[in-house]
Amino acid sequence: MTTKDMAKITINLVVIYVLGGLLLAFVYAKTSPIMFVKAKEEKEAALKTMMPEADKIEHLGDWEPHHKHAGYYAAKKGDEEIGYIVEGFGKGYSSYINLLVSVDKNFTVQKINVLHHAETPGLGDEIEKDYFQKQFAGKTLDTLVVIKGDTPDKIQAISGATISSRAVTEDGVKNGVKMLMEKLSGGQEKKEEGGHGVKEGEIEEHKEGHGETEGKENEHGSHS
Amino acid sequence: MAHTHKTNWELIKNGMFSENTIFKMAISLCPSIAVTNSLKNGFFMGVSVIFVQTMVNLTVSLIRNFINPKIRIPIFMMVIAGYVSLIDMSMAAFARPVYKQIGLYIQLIVAFASIFARAEVFAVKNKIIPSIADGLGMGIGFFLAMIVISFFRELLGKGALWGFPIVQGNPLLIMVLPAGGFFAVGLLMGFFNWLDARMAAKREAAAAIETA
Repeated sequence: MTTKDMAKITINLVVIYVLGGLLLAFVYAKTSPIMFVKAKEEKEAALKTMMPEADKIEHLGDWEPHHKHAGYYAAKKGDEEIGYIVEGFGKGYSSYINLLVSVDKNFTVQKINVLHHAETPGLGDEIEKDYFQKQFAGKTLDTLVVIKGDTPDKIQAISGATISSRAVTEDGVKNGVKMLMEKLSGGQEKKEEGGHGVKEGEIEEHKEGHGETEGKENEHGSHS
Repeated sequence: MAHTHKTNWELIKNGMFSENTIFKMAISLCPSIAVTNSLKNGFFMGVSVIFVQTMVNLTVSLIRNFINPKIRIPIFMMVIAGYVSLIDMSMAAFARPVYKQIGLYIQLIVAFASIFARAEVFAVKNKIIPSIADGLGMGIGFFLAMIVISFFRELLGKGALWGFPIVQGNPLLIMVLPAGGFFAVGLLMGFFNWLDARMAAKREAAAAIETA
């Protein structure tokens, strides 16, 4: 191979890759703000459905399960706190499962909702289904345990997807509830902190944005 | 294979049947097992592949005179990964409901042997229109294979179709597990080959009678 050939090949490759890169950069620049806004809207809507009785959802603070950024919120009806919502991550079979958990004032689980995951289609992705998520209503720390087979008071694993079921139950949900209990069961003293929370909340909104894009990138990385 | 002499319709049919990616060429078997455990998954994967295969063939054919043969592989990779990322990003922004359904599979397409193979075997040596026809045919062939496999797997494994229950309970759960994928693909491949052999034998018999 002569130097001339090598130069030709290099130029050929560079031209195509630069063109491809520019095209992708252009599309990314156009689509990512739209995607970001829509993802945020979806998250807000998801928070609302977690506590339909509440008329206000207030951002209380943030925590970092699996080094990912997640928030927790107080659900208020009028001025009274009727429960809390926490965002959590569970380490699943092939992804981190991003989910929301709502609890009442006694930290009994009301509802869970899986926001984002990349579990095996057809097996792990059953965690999105109602029949699995409905099991969580009324569970406490002690009963958030996965059982293979029928169970009256615990969580029944999805057949063929025990790891994903465990990740949701014993990692995502349980750790979320645990964290809420640790942070919030301080009682009255913490109320004042709650006051801070409102102010912090506004600042946190920005941070939240960064956190989410980071999370996205991480997940893309894990795919390849 | 140099320039093709087949008509466009023959090219499409070729991809659908006689050179079907899954059942005849036995390439891209990974997705045929990984994402065929429900009809819905199979369907969306098939549709995504039809699109990517056609667009990749079109693009490779378009730039075929510019590609230096020595570095064609990295260039094909760029084209395929580019299209996949393009679709991934646009769908995430503009078609979120659909993206939630198939977002999981889109990125898998980058590594499909069948798409790579058609760029290498066909598109880089042929004009644009036949390349599109070939891409369409191969894509549709893949789509049909996915539909057939996932139809049987979901029906037998979950007693359901497209998520709607037909039989109570899980009749043959193994069919939706990875092992069941091998069974389904193997048995169907065997069936289609048997069908082919039978038809060929009949044709021969008919020809023998005519000459006699």
